Amino acid sequence: MASTTGASLKFTSLSSSFKQTQVPLRGVSNVNSVSFPSLRMRPGSLRFRVSCAAKPETVNKVCEIVRKQLALPDDSSVTGESKFSTLGADSLDTVEIVMGLEEEFGISVEEESAQSISTVQDAADLIEKLMDKNCA
Amino acid sequence: MNIRCFQRNFSAALPPLVPLQLPSPMETHLWYILPDEVKSVALLNQYSELLSPCERENVNRICGDQLKKRALLARALVRTTIARYQMNCEINPRSLKFRKNIYGKPEVEWQNEDNFSPLPLHFNISHTTSMIACGVTVNVPIGIDVEEKQRRIKNNITAFAQRYFSPYEVKLLTAISDPEVQCQEFIKLWTLKEAYVKALGKGFSAVPFKTFTIQFRAPAIRNLHPPGISVSEASEEIVESSNDPTNLTNNWQLALLEVAGSHYAAICMERDKTVGGEANMPMKLTVRKTIPFVEDVCISGTDAVLALGGIIEQ
Repeated sequence: MASTTGASLKFTSLSSSFKQTQVPLRGVSNVNSVSFPSLRMRPGSLRFRVSCAAKPETVNKVCEIVRKQLALPDDSSVTGESKFSTLGADSLDTVEIVMGLEEEFGISVEEESAQSISTVQDAADLIEKLMDKNCA
Repeated sequence: MNIRCFQRNFSAALPPLVPLQLPSPMETHLWYILPDEVKSVALLNQYSELLSPCERENVNRICGDQLKKRALLARALVRTTIARYQMNCEINPRSLKFRKNIYGKPEVEWQNEDNFSPLPLHFNISHTTSMIACGVTVNVPIGIDVEEKQRRIKNNITAFAQRYFSPYEVKLLTAISDPEVQCQEFIKLWTLKEAYVKALGKGFSAVPFKTFTIQFRAPAIRNLHPPGISVSEASEEIVESSNDPTNLTNNWQLALLEVAGSHYAAICMERDKTVGGEANMPMKLTVRKTIPFVEDVCISGTDAVLALGGIIEQ
């Protein structure tokens, strides 16, 4: 859960809405005990996906691999919501990124699944799904 | 960026696009732009005026000036290219509408207007860091892919090939000992495979790279021309017979070029069965470098276009 990182909960698209909900929890000393780590809400949408979103560590690792492949400057923003095409990845980059992910996480991605990945989050979710399958 | 100011001056500021005849059947027009050559902010703003609000929003969402510029130039290239092929009436690049087919391949959505019949025009774009290209054909689908010749592949090429290419192609690549040459041959094969899949227009997953083989073939008679390129269903054995049912070359024509000394460009177009003639008819090709509204240079037949494979007539 997020409490292990010691950092406060941070969601790129939710930060403003969660700042407000933290106020009523003044009585609670450890904010990290409020566990919403699996909730991922797209701005403007009310769809909740519980317990299917990848861990932040996975997302971060994907971001790192993407940065390396696309040789992005350190100050460029790469987050779970980043689309590969928006980051400047062409088809060869996407395939290289997938291969890098396969190597890093010890998984094997079907060509068809690789094509359905358009954001960093998609990649992270797929990775965890495949890793779970490996352990099953 | 003051959009309003440019809107007023738009039609006065930009010279009209030089109208062109449509490509003939079995002909491809290849247009390309080199982003590094477009430096004028005023020009980029004018290109921005050509985009639909949705396209402009997509471009603005991109982080990084270079990437933004490339995305803008890609849309400007497609719009201005198609607008050149005016038949009876002028096409305003800004008024073109696009949509995607059910597999996601972009196409023109011709408007139903009196006195205007849709052009039987097909197009496909490809971008790489330093070049954006647009290929145009009539009647038949087209797919193109461009890559930098010197592009460095980060993964091990043999591993990459084994993962994605057909057994025949893997054998060919692994037999190359010089790593530079191997990398270039890899890129050539990659662009050809991409061009084929894009021409088919059904997405990567419909025709995974592993399921077909691209082969450079030296035809017996035409020793003076670059060898033909065939595409066939992947199998362990390569059948040389022209009656081979797995040979897809009867339906698809491939060509590979080196452009501007720096890029490989692969073109794949469907054979127009309504055009009579032998199976080995050359692909007619006209290559033009462009900075829309500034200059168009026809480079076919010059050193800037080198035919590397496929039966091509420039």
